Amino acid sequence: MLRDPLLHFLLIGLALFLLYGLVSPGEADSRRIVITQSQVDDMVRQYQSTWTHSPTPAEIRGLIDTYIHDEIVYREGLSMGLDKDDAVIKRRIRQKYELIAEEEDHSAPTDADLDAFLKAHPEEFLRPATVSFDQVYFDATTTSPEAVGTVRVALQKGANPATFGQPSMLPRHVTDGEIDLVGREFGDNFGKRVAIAPVDVWVGPLMSGIGVHLVRVSSRAPPVLPPLDQIRAAVEREWESDRRSRSSLDDYRRARTGYEIIIRAKMP
Amino acid sequence: MDRKIRLAGSLAAAAALIEGALYLAQARIVRPAGTPTGLMAASLAQEGGYLPDPNRKYPERVLWGDEHVHTGWSVDAGLAGATLTPEDAVRFARGEMVKSNTGQDARLQRPLDWIAVTDHSDAMGTVGELTGGNPEMMADPTVKRWHDMMGQGVAQATAATLELVRAQATRRMPKVLMDEKWVASAWQKTVDIMEKYNEPGKFTAFISYEWTSNAFTGENLHRNVIFRGNADTTRSLTPLTTWATGDPAALWAWLANYEKTTGGKVLAIPHNGNLSNGRMFEERQYDGKPLTKEWVEARARWEPLYELYQFKGLGEAHPALSPTDEFAGGELWDTGNLAGITKQQGMLKTEYWREALKSGMRLQRKLGTNPFKYGAAAGTDTHTGLSASEENNFWGKLRSSEPSPDRWEHLFQKEQSYVRKDWTLAAAGQMGVWATANTREAIWDAMKRRETYATTGPRITLRFFGGYNFGAADANADRIVSTGYAKGVPMGGDLKAARTGQVPTFLIAAMKDPMGANLDRVQIIKGWVDNAGKTHEAIFNILWSDPATRKLVGGKLPAVGDTVDLATATYKNSIGATELVGSFKDPTFDPGQRAFYYVRVLEIPTPRWTAYDAVKYRVKMGPEVPMKHQERAASSPIWYNPA
Repeated sequence: MLRDPLLHFLLIGLALFLLYGLVSPGEADSRRIVITQSQVDDMVRQYQSTWTHSPTPAEIRGLIDTYIHDEIVYREGLSMGLDKDDAVIKRRIRQKYELIAEEEDHSAPTDADLDAFLKAHPEEFLRPATVSFDQVYFDATTTSPEAVGTVRVALQKGANPATFGQPSMLPRHVTDGEIDLVGREFGDNFGKRVAIAPVDVWVGPLMSGIGVHLVRVSSRAPPVLPPLDQIRAAVEREWESDRRSRSSLDDYRRARTGYEIIIRAKMP
Repeated sequence: MDRKIRLAGSLAAAAALIEGALYLAQARIVRPAGTPTGLMAASLAQEGGYLPDPNRKYPERVLWGDEHVHTGWSVDAGLAGATLTPEDAVRFARGEMVKSNTGQDARLQRPLDWIAVTDHSDAMGTVGELTGGNPEMMADPTVKRWHDMMGQGVAQATAATLELVRAQATRRMPKVLMDEKWVASAWQKTVDIMEKYNEPGKFTAFISYEWTSNAFTGENLHRNVIFRGNADTTRSLTPLTTWATGDPAALWAWLANYEKTTGGKVLAIPHNGNLSNGRMFEERQYDGKPLTKEWVEARARWEPLYELYQFKGLGEAHPALSPTDEFAGGELWDTGNLAGITKQQGMLKTEYWREALKSGMRLQRKLGTNPFKYGAAAGTDTHTGLSASEENNFWGKLRSSEPSPDRWEHLFQKEQSYVRKDWTLAAAGQMGVWATANTREAIWDAMKRRETYATTGPRITLRFFGGYNFGAADANADRIVSTGYAKGVPMGGDLKAARTGQVPTFLIAAMKDPMGANLDRVQIIKGWVDNAGKTHEAIFNILWSDPATRKLVGGKLPAVGDTVDLATATYKNSIGATELVGSFKDPTFDPGQRAFYYVRVLEIPTPRWTAYDAVKYRVKMGPEVPMKHQERAASSPIWYNPA
């Protein structure tokens, strides 16, 4: 019976366990809270950065009390296993991990990097097309199409546009308006129409989101791709954003290769 | 090139012809036969009114934004599965395509002009772990050694710094320190992102956070803190948390201290009194003590605006407090506080904006300052990083309410006495600001002077002026802006005491969202305090569509009608008006009574987001789910101050 290897094994295990209990400082440490000067300095620094003045001695004692309170309840909670399977904790750690992954590559882009990025994504950096125009507005529900037609003829013959149309909150004249802003102010379709209307001729009726318009475009500028030195900040921003999203994903992919993933559930 | 232009020209002409033809056809159908075309007679008399006037000093274009946006860096949003960052939130607001938290392509139909990302300061990012992490840091022998060297004179400190730099260069940085660097700079990182995307004149990204006091048991006393300045006055600070106290007076002290020590400027916007169980506008201090002169002055000083509209319910008015307001119902969250603790009827009194505007004037009689002199703000309070308040492009409040066929019936919260599902979310909250430029400074200044208005989503243009020298002829859309500023005060302003015989006149101009629904009506809402100190309110319908057929009966106006087709989730602009312009002279004006006046504009009925979902996903929702609504805008008030 005493020769049973399993019993030997168990006895050795018990001995080790008892020995560990005798020499391990763990229990004592988990029941001891030491506040060092450097910790207090950090609390004070934190307080100062929030309040931009130093805490009073009473406030410092309060900070230390709060710290001790947190620490004790935190340790009690840990011993109850409250940190296990907690979605907030997992999510926090993921967030920290991803930020570290994103920050690992700190190299600044070279001019060549930026140039290449600009060439690859010109549409992101175009200065939008602009248009200048006059418009005369009519309320579609109270104005007859014939009347609008008559006004158009008069305008084409050189009549003063200020003497026609109905009052509106829409501007009668737009100078160098970006097409998408014109679209936001008058409605998308109107923006598109004005973008291609002939220059220096009264045209219409054009429908906007508000009503009916006669329009004369006076000038237009096409979209322009500015040289790198004029938009360096924007290109750098986009380049960095692009790199960041790629590096975080790369890191995850790398990490994932080290895991065996077994799904024992029905996949929807 | 020439040929291209010519081609474009003829295309445009063709397009114009087609549109013209459509207009002709449409107009013939819409117009009743024999309607006189009084156009020329009316229009020939109009003054030119060419805009813009190069010497103008007034705001010309309304700037649309959201003062309340959370990202995955807010601890509750992160818990709920949001992974989008403040950077994603800003890119989305600028109109870029972003992958949502559920991996869907998300994009606004129209970009915002400005945004304030307001992540919760409590445990922002991982800031909370900075302090908690310190013992951990000291446990790392290298860090401990550096730390000690720092305290041993300049030479040692320099040596430590060099070691540190080397460690970083060779990627031998102790993990714990990288951690610390990130954690300490969660706020700094937010500031850096806002700096990167803030483009004066084009797009404004405010530096901001949310101070999130829930008193003791979920009474919502939250405030969005918005800075006027740039990184130089904000980057080195640490946002105030509520760990020490949830008393708003502590926040005001912090704001005052911020201004004093940095020379910067800052304001706070409270919100969701509807979830405060009576505490948002309670007439006592946080600890129960009576209000003091200092307290009302501080509140008035730091809080010029209140958020009326957002996802978690509308906070403008409540039918129990305003029984004569036929539009006060709808999109109300009035069953409990933030934690779902049941609301008692008596709590409503100190939860809603309009009631607070009235109470504030009553308190002013006693304490000398109006603590509730709140202009109108709006935001989404999204916790997805996606500021999307468009009904047909609604991205939900949390990751779980991002678009999906059954999101309407997802549980939002089981309250003590109500099971709140996601269909109760309102796709609401756009804020219009009359700023002179699209910059932090100009928009902040406009917020400070309350030249702002709130909408439930649509981009209704709204002008509102008050003064003693306006005539009825000044209510002209072409001239209202120049006249309004020249002879009166805009929304958010104050009217001085009337001289004998003077009665204030208000000018109002409202224009429909150019890509949205027509307007039903414009109302003036007045609140006042009588000589006995009692508060009152009155609602005046002053402008509406189809005045020939819709006549006031006992102050009430017949409904505008309803063109919504729920089978297709569409509506027609065949009813309602495109612009409503007019003036209002208060028939009940009493020069001795303190009063406020604000404008509310209502759209014709349109489909609610649930109706768009029902069609898009072909789902049938329960009868309790509202499918249409009348969206609205509410201006900041103009206050009348007796001598």
